[in-house]
Amino acid sequence: MHIPDGILPAAVCLGGYVTAGAATWYSLRKIGRKEDPREGIPKASLLTAAFFVASWIHIPVPPTSVHLVLNGLLGVVLGCYAFPAILIGLFFQAVMFQHGGLTTLGVNATIMGVPALLAYYLFQLRNIFGKDSRVGTGLFGFLAGAGGLGLAAVLACVVLITTIPAHVDVETERAGIYALTLAHVPLMVIEGIFTALVVLFLQRVKPALLEGNREISA
Amino acid sequence: MKFQLDAYASLNTLLHRWEPRCKIIALMALIFAFSFVSDLRLLPAMIVVTTILFAASRLPFSFLLHRLRLPVYFLLIMAVFLPLFSGETVLVQAGPVAVKEEGCLQLLVITVRFFCILTVGIILFGTTPFLNTIKALRSLGLPFVLADMTFFSYRYLYEIGDDLKTMERAMKLRGFKGRNLGAMKTLASLAGTILVRSYEQSDRVYKAMSLRGYGQPACFRDEVKVNSRDWIGLLIVILVAAAFVGFEIVLYSPGG
Repeated sequence: MHIPDGILPAAVCLGGYVTAGAATWYSLRKIGRKEDPREGIPKASLLTAAFFVASWIHIPVPPTSVHLVLNGLLGVVLGCYAFPAILIGLFFQAVMFQHGGLTTLGVNATIMGVPALLAYYLFQLRNIFGKDSRVGTGLFGFLAGAGGLGLAAVLACVVLITTIPAHVDVETERAGIYALTLAHVPLMVIEGIFTALVVLFLQRVKPALLEGNREISA
Repeated sequence: MKFQLDAYASLNTLLHRWEPRCKIIALMALIFAFSFVSDLRLLPAMIVVTTILFAASRLPFSFLLHRLRLPVYFLLIMAVFLPLFSGETVLVQAGPVAVKEEGCLQLLVITVRFFCILTVGIILFGTTPFLNTIKALRSLGLPFVLADMTFFSYRYLYEIGDDLKTMERAMKLRGFKGRNLGAMKTLASLAGTILVRSYEQSDRVYKAMSLRGYGQPACFRDEVKVNSRDWIGLLIVILVAAAFVGFEIVLYSPGG
């Protein structure tokens, strides 16, 4: 899902930087409204590193295994720090492992980060069931995880198929988007279940982590 | 800490000595100029410029190859997709499968752009210690929240990675096999534990840093001076980047 360098036209790369810049500005504005904006930085940073590491965990899906994206879970836990966290995580991946790219950093951050922010707001709806309800936490954890990955997959497929092959006809393009999105459905289910299990674990062990950006700066 | 990226950052070449801010501006301009190129006639020039820069950096070829290993898989997917689905002029046909000329040419452009951009990126980050790069980005206007988060995350990334390895080893020693989907609950607890441990550690880190003055204005200035050689280097690379963009505009026509 991380689009590498050289694949996309320059205009799309620059457009990605514009949208990522807008989302970063929005996040930094929310962080800047806190009494001491520096206070939440160590927590958000260590959690950013922890998410980066947690995405290395391989989930067995016989006969193979998959590693998860966790952008929905990241949104749930980090709140308004989620977008900067994803930007930094993708920057690390681009410069350390050449996974993704420098010119496509903005596009990739938008693809992963905007669904993460939406997942955060989606997860807040669990309060309808009451904050301590395990059903509400599990259900909205699932929706945040599956929705975060699903939206990111749709965005990535649309960007890739509509911008790269200049000579592909509209029907083939549409079929390609549908096929690639459908291929992600099983992964969405796995990501959703995993996110639900993690948020239920956190609710039992460290509920403060599910308070999003409020507790991160506490 | 194992900062693999800094393995060759202490060599002594013109590129290593180049002031980081000038280097970032120049090489990022070149990277974006490369991403702008779509005309086949400019590809040899891109390869020449990249080769000169790589030779000047004296980074080992094995270092480059090792870092190109992972992204090549994505390129392989494109190599299957583009020649078959992009274009109209058939080059080779075998039953219902046809290899198209436009798709092959597009693949060539993407492949050269991909390798050149990646190589210049590796030169940029491989010839400057990573912390100096972040400091340079900060002085170029990167917001303090992003700069501080990048520093902290980088500092603790490998430490948390080692924690994960230790916990995975402990799970295996206790008989955890994790060969089917039923293992997901245990793996979710593992991920949750990583998050909880990091969260609690961040409390201690913040308190220790506050005691050392984190958040207070710095009482020293840590500025690196830009000399005339840095400026000349910046000017040359910017001109090369501008030349690529200029020639692309003049030469390129979407029809071919």
